[in-house]
Amino acid sequence: MKKKFSAICILISVSLLLVGCGSANTSDKTVSVVGSSSVAPLAEYESENFLRVDKAIEVDVQSVGSSSGIKAAIDGTANIGMSSRNLSEEEAKELKEVVIALDGIAVVVNPNNKVKNLTKDELLAIYQGKIRNWKDVGGDDAPIVVISREEGSGTRGAFEEITGLEIEKNDKKYTTVFSRAIITDGNGSVKQNIALKKNGIGYISVGSVDDSVKSVAVDGVLPTEETIKAGEYLISRPFLLLTKGDPTPEAQAFIDFILSDEGQKLVKEHNYITVN
Amino acid sequence: MKKKLDKLAELLFITSAIICVLALLLIMIFIFYKGAPSILETGVFKFLFGVEWQPRAEVFGILPMITASVLVTIGAILIGAPVGVLTATFIVYLAPKRIGNILKTATDVLASIPSVIYGFFGLMIIIPFIDRFLAGGAGGNSILAAIIILSIMILPTVISISESSMREVDISYRDASLALGATKISTIFKVMIPSAFSGIMAAVILGVGRALGEAMAVILVSGNAPFMPDSILAPVRTMSANIALEMGYASGAHQEALFGTGVVLFVFIFIINFIFYIVKHKGGVKN
Amino acid sequence: MDSITKIKTENLELFYGEVQALKNINLDIKEKEVTALIGPSGCGKSTFLKTINRMNDLIVGCKINGKVIFDDIDIYGQDIDIITLRKKIGMVFQKPNPFKMSIYDNIAYGPRIHGVKKKSSLDEIVEKSLRKAFIWDEVKDRLKTNALSLSGGQQQRLCIARALAVDPEVVLMDEPTSALDPISTLKIEDLISELKKNYTIIIVTHNMQQGARISDRTAFFLSGEVIEYDLTDTIFTNPKNPKTEEYITGRFG
Repeated sequence: MKKKFSAICILISVSLLLVGCGSANTSDKTVSVVGSSSVAPLAEYESENFLRVDKAIEVDVQSVGSSSGIKAAIDGTANIGMSSRNLSEEEAKELKEVVIALDGIAVVVNPNNKVKNLTKDELLAIYQGKIRNWKDVGGDDAPIVVISREEGSGTRGAFEEITGLEIEKNDKKYTTVFSRAIITDGNGSVKQNIALKKNGIGYISVGSVDDSVKSVAVDGVLPTEETIKAGEYLISRPFLLLTKGDPTPEAQAFIDFILSDEGQKLVKEHNYITVN
Repeated sequence: MKKKLDKLAELLFITSAIICVLALLLIMIFIFYKGAPSILETGVFKFLFGVEWQPRAEVFGILPMITASVLVTIGAILIGAPVGVLTATFIVYLAPKRIGNILKTATDVLASIPSVIYGFFGLMIIIPFIDRFLAGGAGGNSILAAIIILSIMILPTVISISESSMREVDISYRDASLALGATKISTIFKVMIPSAFSGIMAAVILGVGRALGEAMAVILVSGNAPFMPDSILAPVRTMSANIALEMGYASGAHQEALFGTGVVLFVFIFIINFIFYIVKHKGGVKN
Repeated sequence: MDSITKIKTENLELFYGEVQALKNINLDIKEKEVTALIGPSGCGKSTFLKTINRMNDLIVGCKINGKVIFDDIDIYGQDIDIITLRKKIGMVFQKPNPFKMSIYDNIAYGPRIHGVKKKSSLDEIVEKSLRKAFIWDEVKDRLKTNALSLSGGQQQRLCIARALAVDPEVVLMDEPTSALDPISTLKIEDLISELKKNYTIIIVTHNMQQGARISDRTAFFLSGEVIEYDLTDTIFTNPKNPKTEEYITGRFG
């Protein structure tokens, strides 16, 4: 029995090793792309498709967060840095940036809801559970049903980061979304819940808004491609690729691919806003 | 030749049995290996009795999830068990054969519906109903919604197992009771059902296991708020929902904490199965 | 032959669907006697027994013509309360079938469903019934144990005690010893002889010696008919019908 068990353990470890070897395909031309965990899934997806265009170049995407990505680009430890926030002035001096996509998050309510506009503070208060009734923000006298996304969702992360629902304390990030908020998984599920609940409020990628829900203006600006591209809509952010000086030819090829029609089609598939 | 075939068959049986046991062992080892460190790191007490779930800050307290699992399961049993047992009683003792067969087929179909369909039904029908008529527009994703869906989902288990245990009861008990002047109904409730008691208990316990483990349907209707419930209309997140909901994106300490939730769930299920075993084996003679 | 008639059947016929199981039965069953019903398998004796407490009602497609008169009342007439009827006419089955509950609860079951709630009354009934069934001494120290832990013979005496607990006037017994060993059988036979002082007993038996030992009168059934009904002594020593004689002497059945 004991022997058999160890045999199986060995079998499992060997197969794991083999899988490991498979991905470490040796290639002399590697592009390391390091940074924002929001941009990483898109970059990963782009790299998979890029492989079909240029088999010789291997793209290695690592998700470590925007700040680390910027630092890696400045240090030169990565060929390309990824950031989902705008650069500070100092950072901007050191790096060349390319916007590959825009991420906009629409605040949505039931189509029958009277409320058309929320200020950023009102939105914050609603999500923190401080405003619990629509009448306090110009709507009917009805409870507000707050709908959020599951922990780890990129949309939730961006929404909390931009609106300030996420706070930092002792180097740790806390959410201030009140714990009674309904949590659903996926843009579709949020829409379904909002469509079924006349008092619901939620947030979804701008790309997935449709007739079943109504977008609310934030600080007077509705989320549209134009307002987001113009930088007027609050809950939006650019997806940046950063290089120190001119990119290597391989890195340039990858960036060009992302900016190409095919690359931008992939951006759209991820419900982000294209840049061309 | 025949002997060889026999040997081969035997080998096949043994191998299958070993695979089965091995699968259980591997899952157990895997879950505990991945989950136990997280519980120990957080501290057993803090993990089990903490009320805050803040994965980004690595604060992991699952008391709200444990509470939710327990409440939702108890509720589902309180509704599902009596309905299931009474349905089984009706099928076995009261319904004309044809209607009994229709009911049995319906039960089988109920058992084969995927859980996501139950969840979808809950989301589209039960939640709006609760939202409008009970919650006053405050949502509807709630303990109650989860209880309703789960009580329907455990019905097939409860019905089919209590039905077969009732059929095992000697029919001459019925005659003896009737011959004493008992009515049909008191015969059923005072003699037949008590005689099938251990089987019915087993049915209910398996129902508990099903309710405790269900994630897909529950995620769609319970609201998933990691929040200590203050009313039956409050949104809650069960342990299974916690794992299924967040495992997709989780990494590092967060992922380990989800495995930790799995360990706690596993212990719960293990206890349930242990009770099931006890009930089943002391079933032969009561008192 | 001046005993009082307890049960009387008049032109009793019974059909299972199209099949006629009982034909033109006319029997006078006397009070506080043991009446044995004998005959080969499928002759209708058990079916007849079950018509007396209307247990045949449970069988779908069973139809009955004629009368069964119990204490001057036709039990198949209108306004008959089956519950009261069955309380007065108890039954003991072929296979011992105590309920899966304690000895005490088995006996108390009948009185309880008929409304006896007081603990002291129940205690009294339980003891009295167990004494009447000659089993009190064997179980008095373990009334709370499960009845299924008793031996087969004890279980059958318990079932008799259970039937007696609702204070019946008639006890129907459907081959009560066929599943028991010889010693247990003897005990039950002794018990039956004792019980007839207070109860009218009708017993179906396969065992002719048993019928001869314990009964006062015997009815011989064949193919759904009563071939002969008389004092047991007469039936076994001087039967009038040649078919009865054939059966008694073991030439068939």
